[in-house]
Amino acid sequence: MLITCWYLYISARSIIRQTFNMASILQKLITPLFSGTPEPPRNKVTVVGVGQVGMACAVSILLRELADELALVDVMEDKLKGEMMDLQHGSLFLKTPKIVAGKDYSVTANSRIVVVTAGVRQQEGESRLNLVQRNVNIFKHIVPQIVKHSPDCIIIVVSNPVDVLTYVTWKLSGLPKHRVIGSGTNLDSARFRYLMADKLGIHASSFNGWILGEHGDTSVPVWSGTNVAGVNLQTLNPDIGTDDDQENWKETHKQVVDSAYEVIKLKGYTNWAIGLSVADLTESLIRNMNRIHPVSTMVKGMYGIEDEVYLSLPCILNSGGVASVVNMTLTDDEIGQLKESADTLWGIQKDLTDV
Amino acid sequence: MNANVYSNILKQSMIPSLQRLGRRAVFQHDNNPKHNSKTTTALLKKLRVKDLCDELCLIDVMEDKLKGEVMDLQHGSLFCKTHKIVGEKDYSVTAHSKVVIITAGARQQEGESRLNLVKRNVDIFKFIIPQIVKYSPNAILLVVSNPVDILTYVAWKLSGFPRHRVIGSGTNLDSGRFRHLMGEKLHIHPSSCHAWVIGEHGDSSVPVWSGVNVAGVCLKALNPDIGTDADKEDWNKVHKMVVDSAYEVIKLKGYTSWAIGMSVADLVESLVKNLHKVHPVSTLVKGMHGVKDEVFLSVPCVLGNSGLTDIIQMTLKPEEEKQLIKSAETLWGVQKELTL
Repeated sequence: MLITCWYLYISARSIIRQTFNMASILQKLITPLFSGTPEPPRNKVTVVGVGQVGMACAVSILLRELADELALVDVMEDKLKGEMMDLQHGSLFLKTPKIVAGKDYSVTANSRIVVVTAGVRQQEGESRLNLVQRNVNIFKHIVPQIVKHSPDCIIIVVSNPVDVLTYVTWKLSGLPKHRVIGSGTNLDSARFRYLMADKLGIHASSFNGWILGEHGDTSVPVWSGTNVAGVNLQTLNPDIGTDDDQENWKETHKQVVDSAYEVIKLKGYTNWAIGLSVADLTESLIRNMNRIHPVSTMVKGMYGIEDEVYLSLPCILNSGGVASVVNMTLTDDEIGQLKESADTLWGIQKDLTDV
Repeated sequence: MNANVYSNILKQSMIPSLQRLGRRAVFQHDNNPKHNSKTTTALLKKLRVKDLCDELCLIDVMEDKLKGEVMDLQHGSLFCKTHKIVGEKDYSVTAHSKVVIITAGARQQEGESRLNLVKRNVDIFKFIIPQIVKYSPNAILLVVSNPVDILTYVAWKLSGFPRHRVIGSGTNLDSGRFRHLMGEKLHIHPSSCHAWVIGEHGDSSVPVWSGVNVAGVCLKALNPDIGTDADKEDWNKVHKMVVDSAYEVIKLKGYTSWAIGMSVADLVESLVKNLHKVHPVSTLVKGMHGVKDEVFLSVPCVLGNSGLTDIIQMTLKPEEEKQLIKSAETLWGVQKELTL
């Protein structure tokens, strides 16, 4: 009896000794100086949806070193975990120290920017407006959770049809309208600038041109604003953008509208260009740059539009969201086109249920 | 003298001169109509004489997917600083490349080991490599396709390039993963955790425990059992996780892409910017650490403009050397069965 107790005592002692000698490498190597609660992230970005578009956005944001924390959310748990691990394995080459993911929206808490790419994607030949009701139902689940965990965030909506879904997000979130942005025609304008610049043999960033209105088939190229080094192209060719134009510049805008369909036909989806353009928007927002981007914003009251619709106009973006809208001088024809888009969009929006 | 005669003169005399001068040369001619003719411009475009800036070229056999990807990237040009992105099935677009990154090949299926991919990928390489060499005889080849060590050997044999211009992405990614996991364990950023995983990129990679350090403090000095089975902190698990992580990510999302992409970009940066940084990449190790066969394994190498300029001689323990020799033997066992 006594001997059993003795053996028990000896083994207990050796276990305790082992535990104490197990001063780990961590303890021997590092002397902590401050261990309070860790600071909350200052520039957290959440990407909802880890499909091709969501991951392209995530990687573009990581490579631009914009966020100090990145959160990924999706319903497909395996894919989500796999993507998170793949990104984490690259952390040696990145400056975003924390990458988290989860099906539960609590991982998104305290985000500054939430990029919503969730939703079904356009099939080959399908127009963006066909996707609406399918995506509204998904958003009814997503948006309230985002706002619950990040009440001060700015939401960038990417899922198509982006203008309708930005309206839906605004309604579901209850956020003020300057904090809900649609990626809108930022990508169309980028494509336009690339294609026009390519024809002129210059870099896209040296060609200035804006495409506004609906992100889709009825986008409006503002020909009166196109210029290179301040030289207005319409002054050089007054027919530019019309059917009388000998040089057929209108074809470029048509190419922009068709390009999404073409890329989808060739590779099944588009992701790189949209990812890069979203990172560009995120940069203006996070770095408080006051840069102007054509993004989708609430345009009721402008250009004679009376409905609550979202269309792309040149907006000044800073850390508060859409600070202001630039009043572009548009021709009557262009204003007419905007109004027509607004009417089409409102036609769809008024039929949506539970928004 | 007309456009055709002019084109012929260019073809015969200008091109060889340009090749001797390398990418830094500028060719200028005035606006004489025959200089601007369709024939001449087509010729110049074909020979890529116009561009002196960096250019990204994509090649694949799947033409639609290739074209789609190129268009998608081009649409993002506004946000990028790469002025030209091209992609075609024909290898002539790759002419005068400085670095050629080879990711082509069949990918690992779930549960398939890297060595099983070999024969499938060797046949693909027999088609690719000679074409690359034909159009970019001075390029540096960076092989990423798995099994990377064997395929780097294959690329070296098929290309006839000197050994300093054929590099395998090797254990650059394994080391990156190891340093990430080490960083998580110690709550430090991976770039401040130093560790080298060398040898075969795959199941038998060798973590050099004696070199693992933070701020010059060698972890082995703090915990002599590190990396052994007696280790109470089970650091061996960290290495095991590195080996398993590829399989795990493949099981979860079907493939790995982002981490390997970033690690390759890291290597290309050192090559193109002539940084002389040290990376663990796959190179010919015959004669080193007791390896007798012509195999490629990852060791720390200095990368610069001309390729792999130097190798760092690591002081390895006998067990570590034994592991390298064993990997070499396994690799040679597969390599000698290949017909190249």
